[in-house]
Amino acid sequence: MGLRAGKRRIWLKMLSASLLRRRSRVIAALAAITIGATVLSGMLSVYWDIPRQLEREFRSYGANLVLVPSGEVGVMGLRAMRRAASLLPADRVIGVTPYRYETLSINRQPFTAAGTYLDEARRTNPYWRLEGEWPASDEEMLMGADAAGHIGAAPGTRVRVSGRGRNNRPFAGEMTISGLVRSGGPEDAMLFMEMSMLESLTGTRGEANLVDISVAGSEGELRKMADASRESVTSVTPRLLRRVVGSETAVLAKLRYLVFLVTVVALALIFICVATGMLTSVMERSREIGLKKALGADNAAIMGEFLGEGAVLGIAGGLLGSFAGYFFAQLIGISVFGRSAAFEPLTIPAAVAVSVLTTALAALPPVRRAADIEPAVVLRGE
Amino acid sequence: MGESGPDNILELIGVTMDYGQVKALNDVSMTVRRGEWLSIMGPSGSGKTTMMNIVGCLDRPTSGRVILDGEEISRLGGRALTTIRRDKIGLIFQQFHLAPYLTAVENVMLAQYYHSLPDEEEAMAALSRVGLSERAGHLPSQLSGGEQQRVCIARALINHPMLILADEPTGNLDEANEHMVLDIFRQLHSGGSAIIVVTHAHDVGARAERVVMLEHGRIAGIVEGRGIHGHRHDDAHA
Repeated sequence: MGLRAGKRRIWLKMLSASLLRRRSRVIAALAAITIGATVLSGMLSVYWDIPRQLEREFRSYGANLVLVPSGEVGVMGLRAMRRAASLLPADRVIGVTPYRYETLSINRQPFTAAGTYLDEARRTNPYWRLEGEWPASDEEMLMGADAAGHIGAAPGTRVRVSGRGRNNRPFAGEMTISGLVRSGGPEDAMLFMEMSMLESLTGTRGEANLVDISVAGSEGELRKMADASRESVTSVTPRLLRRVVGSETAVLAKLRYLVFLVTVVALALIFICVATGMLTSVMERSREIGLKKALGADNAAIMGEFLGEGAVLGIAGGLLGSFAGYFFAQLIGISVFGRSAAFEPLTIPAAVAVSVLTTALAALPPVRRAADIEPAVVLRGE
Repeated sequence: MGESGPDNILELIGVTMDYGQVKALNDVSMTVRRGEWLSIMGPSGSGKTTMMNIVGCLDRPTSGRVILDGEEISRLGGRALTTIRRDKIGLIFQQFHLAPYLTAVENVMLAQYYHSLPDEEEAMAALSRVGLSERAGHLPSQLSGGEQQRVCIARALINHPMLILADEPTGNLDEANEHMVLDIFRQLHSGGSAIIVVTHAHDVGARAERVVMLEHGRIAGIVEGRGIHGHRHDDAHA
């Protein structure tokens, strides 16, 4: 057997004996580290995944970016709108909904009618509550609940719409109200119909007054997207809905802070359990430590042995905790956000490294105490 | 008493050790020659253990000088004392103090582990020297008291110390094992090792070349030659 192998053998034997002989204490310390690492790993996954989870969640509350015509002109071309929207990352766009506004009359009552792509509007505004059905054809439309109240309309009511279109040309037509919209906003007083229907009634073509865009992303990312659109398509001006984006950013920051606090508590749990366990171990083993020092072990050797034990516990607890943390993150994802959390491989080395570091820090005070033990206690037989 | 010089492995000059108001050692001076077998005897509280701790580099005196192998060690720091203890001194304890989870040979290797690098062949040779090569793979709990003490002796010898310090080495042994341990000491002494044995037992102390009698922290007498027949107080501060 090589001399180095002999040294390794004695070290491993001392380490394993120390861990096995104090099985119950080691299990308690390992359990604490594992629980702490589970929370740590789970929280790290959630921390990384919160924006992804919440950005989609936030998007159920409507648009966060709008395109408006540049300059004094009140309309923008749909082609320019499509070019600007094409600059957004396709995988993050929930919906792009242009609106062309016109004033129509029903039963001599004026209403603001929006021509739009209703499928897109449905995606962009998932918070709309609908009584009835979405329009199934161009001759059906949605009506705001307040507007419907004014004229006593209900889903299925057929109404005659009229007005003046391009070049002041009068128009009129029969349409069916397929559903009533409630949003709690101005939509409750409006009409919504397919863009093509509004265009055929008014004689306009390929124009929009406003484009609502619902896109997943942080405030910074949205700002970059808006800047890219502004630079590439000068006829449209992108604007962040600051009220929405700011609220989302604030909620995200608070959630992340909450996750950070929970993680700190988990680390404190590891620290206290390891420090207590290690201190007890040092007190129980003072004679053994004294013997080793009497045999020539210096403080570095004694500290190395205890820190080695701490490192083994930290690595084992960190690995177990990373594994358990994955399921913990899934549990949080499904129960809180309704969808599973994405697995972030970096959580494993991060959880192990933090567990080892916390364990080592927790072991330091007891280890210093071990180094202070006087070997003379062995000779005295105390 | 012996004179200062290169023939001495150990010199104590006016060594005093205070524990508060209590003087555990009071102005003690003595020498141990290279290859000498010396016993330290005295009643409980006479300062034997304190002297062991100081000579064994486990403690520092309050005042006085301790010279080991020509080096003044009484004012050295903890790290330097550890190095000297590891390199120059072999300790044997009354209660053996073997690591219960290591086999006999691994217990011997433990001293090598802290000294340099464990060498199993060398550890086996040390066990063989104390007649325990057949029991090398046994744990301390599987060994008799005498066998455990012999493992302790092998451990003390493994790093070739220039001074062996034994604290009541036969205190926990029956007569047969006591003779066996003393016989090993005799062989070590014949091989040129310096041995200091702290003991209560007169028949054990009497095996030494000189016996230092301690009382109330002072040397009450030193008996030269084998056998204890009386105290020679006039030697106390030679």
